[in-house]
Amino acid sequence: MSDYVQMWKDLGMDLETHDLLCQVLPTAVGDVYLTQENRPKAMDFWDLVISEVHGIRPAELIAAQKEGRKVFGTFCVYVPDEVVVAANGIVTGLCGGSQFWVPGGETVLPKSTCPLVKASVGARLGKTCPFFRIADMYVGETTCDGKKKAYEILGEDVPMYIMDVPQMKREKDILKWKDEIAEFAKTVEEFTGNEITSEKLSEAIHIINEKRKALQRVYDCRKSECLPISGRDALLMTQISFFDDPVRCAQMCNRLADELEQRIADGVSVVPAGTKRILITGTPLAVPNWKLHNIIETSGAAVVCEEMCTGTRYFENLVDESKTTLDEQFMALSERYMKTNCACFTPNTGRIDDILRLCKEYKVDGVIDCSLKFCCLYDTEKYSVSRALKEAGIPVLSLETDYTDTDAEQLRTRIGAFVEMLNG
Amino acid sequence: MADSDIRYYILFENYEQGLALHDLLSSNDIKNRIAPAPRAIQGKLSCGMSLLIEPTDIDAVRACIAEHNPAYYDIVPLEGQIKSHRDKYC
Repeated sequence: MSDYVQMWKDLGMDLETHDLLCQVLPTAVGDVYLTQENRPKAMDFWDLVISEVHGIRPAELIAAQKEGRKVFGTFCVYVPDEVVVAANGIVTGLCGGSQFWVPGGETVLPKSTCPLVKASVGARLGKTCPFFRIADMYVGETTCDGKKKAYEILGEDVPMYIMDVPQMKREKDILKWKDEIAEFAKTVEEFTGNEITSEKLSEAIHIINEKRKALQRVYDCRKSECLPISGRDALLMTQISFFDDPVRCAQMCNRLADELEQRIADGVSVVPAGTKRILITGTPLAVPNWKLHNIIETSGAAVVCEEMCTGTRYFENLVDESKTTLDEQFMALSERYMKTNCACFTPNTGRIDDILRLCKEYKVDGVIDCSLKFCCLYDTEKYSVSRALKEAGIPVLSLETDYTDTDAEQLRTRIGAFVEMLNG
Repeated sequence: MADSDIRYYILFENYEQGLALHDLLSSNDIKNRIAPAPRAIQGKLSCGMSLLIEPTDIDAVRACIAEHNPAYYDIVPLEGQIKSHRDKYC
């Protein structure tokens, strides 16, 4: 028997409360994923991972720790996985995507904090998520004020390292981020006891680039008029990629891409011809946040692309693999990561360029710009995003939501009307 | 299939058993889907995978199990577990 209960006990988890989470997850997975027909066979892997989400991967991480490896928990696509991998460390995403954890976060944070931040803090303090218990060190960053203050609270409970993300993209900012990466590398070396050499970093850069290429391959299939995978399935793949071993992740994504390319060749689509194609942009959708995708795709449309951290921002742009010294490699990392267009930067016109480009690449009929409540950065950018899309003649619907179910009916009404309008 | 229809969940003591039966059924062209086991029927088992079987396939599943004798814990019918518009997330 998989004795996850003993593993959770050993991690100091609150088993009684965790059991309540185990009760709600199967219902959500059933409603969102098992109602779909004609899913790619390769999604079996992600179905297994989500079914055993607090079992298989946590057990792997614990086994690695017993071999002396360190686990680093991260909250942002700006934290360079390559540095951790080069020191034989392991990265696991820690962004909380469940309403289950929000009340725990609200015991120490203002209610007027975004649900992702509240859920992340609640998952740690409530002792109901093994990943939050396993991570030896949390790596935060300065991409939003809510996170910065939350990290101060988390830092009282777990070793915490903060990377100072620049707020502009001038040449000196790219140099500053390079220095931040170099300093982070020193901390990782000290914490793991492993030296980061240029050879090891080169290998790590290659591993993470291969993962990015594999994710991109799956996304490229979503550009086809014959849509071989639902947005819900693609989202699950992306969400799990933050937790999985990067080499296995690339293998599984490439296996999925193989099947999707064959489906396109065979004319196998998951939606009827003419189904309106939606790009979602905005704040990240951390696992198990599937509300928006599910409502859109049960309202007669299909999600074909996510311009978000749990989407294209995670894997677009590769790190230059030709550099041979640590100094050059840190610069190459900085240049790649600083191409990620987050709303914490000013100006952030690159994000609008990305959205317009992606609309063309993915043959998008309409855009849904959705931010989590209390994320003033993405909420404010809706103005410029909406203006640019209207100028380009692309219909846009701006939304705000959180992790609760209470606005689902309202979202269904607004999204249903938007899809109806697209259908003309 | 209506949301209220009965479906069958095959439970396992570990995911290795589940994957083995998943492969066996799939190789015999019997439809089955990997799904989280509903907590209400798990009993002492840890939170983990099950195989979801539609009513139209359950006889073929039972026949395949009888022939090959794979390891599993239980087969449990459940009603109304899957609803696409329930809007109960987690």
